[in-house]
Amino acid sequence: MSIETLTQFLAPTYENFPKGRTIGMVVLRKTQSELILRTEGSGEPMCSEFVQAGFQHKNSLQRLVMTKRKQVAPERRFGREQLRGFELLYPNKDGAVCSLNTNAPCEMCIDCFLYGFAAGGGGAQKSRVWTEDAFSLLPTSETVAERTINAIFETGTMRDENGKASTALNTSEYIKPGVHFLDVVTLKDMTADEMRYVLGNILMTPRYGAVSSRIGRMENQILGIFGGITELPSSLELVQSLYDALIEANTPLEHPFDTDLLVEMTKGAIATWTNRRGISRQLTEEQLTDVIADVDRHWDGERETFLKRLDRSYETFRKPPAKASSSRKGKKNAEPVTPEG
Amino acid sequence: MSLLTTIENTRANLPLFKQARLVELWCAEPVFFASRELSDAYYTEGVLGNYALAYALGWVRSPYRLSGTATWRPTYLEDLGGLSDCYVLPAWPKQGKVTFRWERFNALSDSYWYAMTNNRVATSREDLPVQREGKKPNSFRPSNFPQSGRLRTIARGNLFQTLVFGNRELPDYIRVGKFMSKVRVEVISELKQVALSEGMYQSSAYLNTADLPAELQMLSFDLISIPPAPLVKNLRFQGAAWQFGEIIVPVGICFCGGGIK
Repeated sequence: MSIETLTQFLAPTYENFPKGRTIGMVVLRKTQSELILRTEGSGEPMCSEFVQAGFQHKNSLQRLVMTKRKQVAPERRFGREQLRGFELLYPNKDGAVCSLNTNAPCEMCIDCFLYGFAAGGGGAQKSRVWTEDAFSLLPTSETVAERTINAIFETGTMRDENGKASTALNTSEYIKPGVHFLDVVTLKDMTADEMRYVLGNILMTPRYGAVSSRIGRMENQILGIFGGITELPSSLELVQSLYDALIEANTPLEHPFDTDLLVEMTKGAIATWTNRRGISRQLTEEQLTDVIADVDRHWDGERETFLKRLDRSYETFRKPPAKASSSRKGKKNAEPVTPEG
Repeated sequence: MSLLTTIENTRANLPLFKQARLVELWCAEPVFFASRELSDAYYTEGVLGNYALAYALGWVRSPYRLSGTATWRPTYLEDLGGLSDCYVLPAWPKQGKVTFRWERFNALSDSYWYAMTNNRVATSREDLPVQREGKKPNSFRPSNFPQSGRLRTIARGNLFQTLVFGNRELPDYIRVGKFMSKVRVEVISELKQVALSEGMYQSSAYLNTADLPAELQMLSFDLISIPPAPLVKNLRFQGAAWQFGEIIVPVGICFCGGGIK
């Protein structure tokens, strides 16, 4: 059996009202190349925050933060590329094909149903994929470095044919390859196919952050899947408990950190989570492997069948978007639909 | 205005809370509400509204998809008005002050080609020649929804406190705010209700003006102006009161004044 082991926490079909079926996943995100996550623009430092290092060790530590929106945006785009390829994106109220950040979602495609939308032709949909800010285990002093970039002319030098020097010289911070972020993702009231879709997006999105046509490679791994009626502890609490465990074991907190050791320690730390209120079960190693294999199978050979089946499952809920009425009183919903950073 | 707001002649269906729990809320993530919008800066006020908390605690459910009038008219009255066995106060910062975090955001499109123009990420490449002639095609006009800006969020690690009335079970974690930020819920103490007779009292809690009894005599207060209803703090009032621990609230406080009469 594969994903069906979670049946109790999955919805048989999409329903409009929450019924408390909650699946929590612990995700390890490891950088595979330079990565830039910043919110303040070019030349500014990486997103980081001073947080308490552990539970027992209350000293503060500057950790890298991968904000929620920097996770979800690329993952949604990955899925949407496939939907676009199979023509599963619907026309919106203006007749254009569903596209992020146009203020006119189609309100009918898989992505709209799962990740939600705000402000459209007349309706809003809440996301059923809940993300969290992911934290790096190691402090920024270990995980961040600087690069100087220069852009040369086509002559191959920094001077053009008139002898003028190129001004394209800049220094930029970046996150080193091999940095680990720990993350908790929560899925609410999902059907099995919806869960496969979201998991596929997480497992296959290749790049995150700025300049993602050049850098930003990331490898995501699912370390644990839980079912219950409430959420797992936060990703901050997870890295804090790991920090305590590492200090306990006298492990040096240095980059590059051994991934196998981290995985082992994380799995140890989350093994007790089923004792928490509202968390009723954790998938065993074997079941977890099965679920991932199940997702891979659906996204590989059966991709078209799978996506079309998931798409059909919303058929009864599909209404063409209402024409925007000009007489609407009150303020428009001010929400960036796909905030990037 | 009646001066006879004694317990005997208050409304019969008044929720009578015998106990309350002092609850601490720890922000595991930055929390954002659009309390104030000034140009492209969006400010969160240093408080967690009690209607947000009521939804977050799962006392009322809102659908995953809003449709019809619900997309622009909130349904607080219908949802919360009927709740008589529980109540929660707006959460106030435990240390009396809140730390904030500023961050920038910008929005992008799925397309390979796009242009950042005046508050619009333009993706209609076919309109580019028109735009280059100095005209303004529709697809290049400023949009009426945010494309970039700054957010003032309640920083991670802030502690808030609130009173939860009634004895419904509380979850360990809730999600609040526009970005569904995770917040940890911890019960600090169980408090018994002490009834105070008619008199002049000062409340240290934050109170929602829409939830105060209509006949309450409010003498002085500080107003926190946020949607959907303004909150008051440091309220001095004349009337009957309940005391839970060190916190005094007017008798008869309930969601939306008991809903639609």
